[in-house]
Amino acid sequence: MNVLYMLLPLALLLATAAVLTFVWAVRRGQFDDLETPAIRMLFDDEE
Amino acid sequence: MSSGSHEKCSHCELQLSDRIVVHEEDEDLRFCCVGCRAVYAALHEAGLDQFYDHRQSWSAGEARPVDEDILESDGPELLDAPDFLADQSRRLGDGTCSVDLVLQGAHCAGCVWLVERMPHHVEGVSEARLELSRGRLNLRWDPEQIQLSQVDRWLRRFGFEIHPVSQRAGSRGAAAERAMLVRVGICWAVAANVMLLTIAIYAGLDRATDPGLYATVLWSTFALSAVSLVVGGTVFFRRAWGSLKARRPSMDVPISLGILVGWSHSAWATISGHGEVWFDSIVILTAALLTARYLQIRGNRLAADAADRLLSLLPKVARKLVYDEAGNESVQTVRADKLVPGDRVLVRAGDVVPADGRIITGDSDLSRAVLTGESRPESVGPGAVVEAGTTNLSSPLTILVSAVGAQTRMGQLMEWLDTGTRRRAPVVQIADRLGGAFIIFVLVAAVATAVAWSFVDPSRAVANVVALLVIACPCALGMATPLALTVGIGQAARRGVHVKHDDVIEALEKVTDIVFDKTGTLTEGRPAVVDAMGDLNLAARACALEEQSNHPFAHALLRWAEELEDHRPVDRTKVEEVEEIGGAGIRGMVDGQSVAIGRLDWFDAVDESMGNWAQERAERGLTPLGVAVDGQVRAVIAVGDKLRPETRKIIRDLGHKGIRVHLLSGDHQRVVRAVGESLNIERSRTLGAVAPEDKLAYIESLRSGGNGGKKERIVAMVGDGVNDAAALQAAHIGIAVHGGAEASLAAADVFLVRAGVAPVAELLDGSHRIMGVVRRNLTGSGAYNLFGITLAALGFITPLLAAILMPVSSLAVVASSLLQNSFKR
Repeated sequence: MNVLYMLLPLALLLATAAVLTFVWAVRRGQFDDLETPAIRMLFDDEE
Repeated sequence: MSSGSHEKCSHCELQLSDRIVVHEEDEDLRFCCVGCRAVYAALHEAGLDQFYDHRQSWSAGEARPVDEDILESDGPELLDAPDFLADQSRRLGDGTCSVDLVLQGAHCAGCVWLVERMPHHVEGVSEARLELSRGRLNLRWDPEQIQLSQVDRWLRRFGFEIHPVSQRAGSRGAAAERAMLVRVGICWAVAANVMLLTIAIYAGLDRATDPGLYATVLWSTFALSAVSLVVGGTVFFRRAWGSLKARRPSMDVPISLGILVGWSHSAWATISGHGEVWFDSIVILTAALLTARYLQIRGNRLAADAADRLLSLLPKVARKLVYDEAGNESVQTVRADKLVPGDRVLVRAGDVVPADGRIITGDSDLSRAVLTGESRPESVGPGAVVEAGTTNLSSPLTILVSAVGAQTRMGQLMEWLDTGTRRRAPVVQIADRLGGAFIIFVLVAAVATAVAWSFVDPSRAVANVVALLVIACPCALGMATPLALTVGIGQAARRGVHVKHDDVIEALEKVTDIVFDKTGTLTEGRPAVVDAMGDLNLAARACALEEQSNHPFAHALLRWAEELEDHRPVDRTKVEEVEEIGGAGIRGMVDGQSVAIGRLDWFDAVDESMGNWAQERAERGLTPLGVAVDGQVRAVIAVGDKLRPETRKIIRDLGHKGIRVHLLSGDHQRVVRAVGESLNIERSRTLGAVAPEDKLAYIESLRSGGNGGKKERIVAMVGDGVNDAAALQAAHIGIAVHGGAEASLAAADVFLVRAGVAPVAELLDGSHRIMGVVRRNLTGSGAYNLFGITLAALGFITPLLAAILMPVSSLAVVASSLLQNSFKR
């Protein structure tokens, strides 16, 4: 069971990383508009 | 030319009428109006034909052919003004500037594509990002290379318009929303990890088997839940404390109490090593309630956007008359908010009046539709008072300004709406109410179970309490209401029914009275020819005059003439010397004959039978127009507002459902009576000539049951004019109808994008179905929890089984909400 002592903090570390990524994404405004990006994806780039 | 009835406009796909506009080079391209042709040509020229691959068919609102003047640019000067740029734009490191603007006229993917292609076509613009749902454009440009007015001109060629974002709805709202979203995210992350850790304990990890690991898990959940408490719980604590200080305890109080008591107990149990912990239930409750709050904030932002669109109704620039020392008059374009009382401004035909004031010179017709919802234009002359936001229809006016900006009637109205929206916005969620009570109930049940089992069989007490707490996880109960409402409202939005606050759905189900405002809601809201007598073919030919007019009656007459049997259109070139006389009519030469169309009292002699006919129509609220050829009145045409075709059936259906229908209108009593009678609405419930204040009083007396009823009455008001705004606010549910003034939008709880009364009926049916789902969810998850708690308290469920069963109820609620079909296609 000793491996759990290592896995537990590791899991929490991963969760922290996920939360930080989420916070970063929110601050960048990625959740402000949930509609237009879905449309924008359809456009072909001609350049 | 009459063969065009099945053809569609090459640009907008509107059914072509007889007034076809053909492409200059390609005969096969036919358009409904010059606006469409110009946009097509602009797209083609710029090599942007791909637009037609991306655009979706028009769903929002009614498209209508436009007149030539739409292509004229009006006052982009404001966009280049240094003080505007200093206020609203940011200078970025590389010398470019960035600004947020309101973009009007974007509807679909094609529009997004078109607008975002701008950097490839406009030199100096480096980035254009459009947020379609809110109509916001973020622009990055190099001020050295291009000015914003040039950008405006480019966009205008395609029918888009840009306006500055109002100061009020600035970035403050977006920042609060993002901050709340961060809290929600953190709380759910914490909740998920606490759950995972707690599962170890449910699965059998306890102090006896592995004291070290048990302590680690326990202290980890303790630390994590503390994070949730600080990040999420404080939102509720602060509001609870605020409401206590104001001596009006809100639902935040029991929630805070539940969270605090539960957490403190668990924390003490962790520290002392005795007693139960229920960190998991607490963190999940916090996360779920916080999510509901976040959705509310997002809804409020959408409301603020609506208010922003309203502001764009007021013109940004005015044509100010200035006099030099010699007394010579000249016109200067200035920002509308820089006007001061005493200034003289020129308002051209078709312009929106920029400020409140009094007419000095000029006779014209004024449309006050935006303020009053009254579709009939009024004749105004020197001395008459005009309000900002109204539209001058026929000839130029000079106005002496008396009030500007926030001091205008329109400004005051918007301010009032603004405070009104705030007063009403945060309505307590059912989830909050239940959540607070529920957590206390669970705590009591847990204590009771612990006490009871410690007498019966102390060794099983802990396991049973844990099982109870797990199975009582309020996940499903907390999600039941908001999820069902959110999904239902989403479905409604796809059908063009926008619901601002989700508590409206609850009230809509219990509606007992619907008050309709006649103008524009039951009727088409624009003038149409209702009746005519005399030499109709001659009259129809005479109507060719109206091609040259912008008066609303002109469109009505033209439509009527086109639909008339064996009508031969008159060649445009044969219409000459057209002259519009403000407040009277229009005259000119058609095919060599002198023709005049106008008010009956404008003509010297009117045949008696025609006079009587006209008199009778006038009493019913229609406007009779005379058509004179070579000086003799040959026909009379009655113009008025027609009932929408579906109105009759819907009103009858509402009656069958036991909902009382009222008719309240600012129109003349006779008109309203006539409409009421044709719809079989009781006489006592049809009132005409109602002032906005009286509408308010009527609704309030209805609400208090003053209209003879004993039962509590839930009143819904359906309206469209700004004059309805107060009444919309006073009613339990305010429903604004498309095509009306946008001011009513901000006051309303529901906004219907599609025209007509049909969406009202749909909204009522849909609300019934949504509430059905809510009730199904609540009873389902409530019964599940009660049943589970009882079984657990009696010792039939092991903690592990409880942990497996728990998500089942949540999944059931999610499925039940998502699979609802409240608004059918």
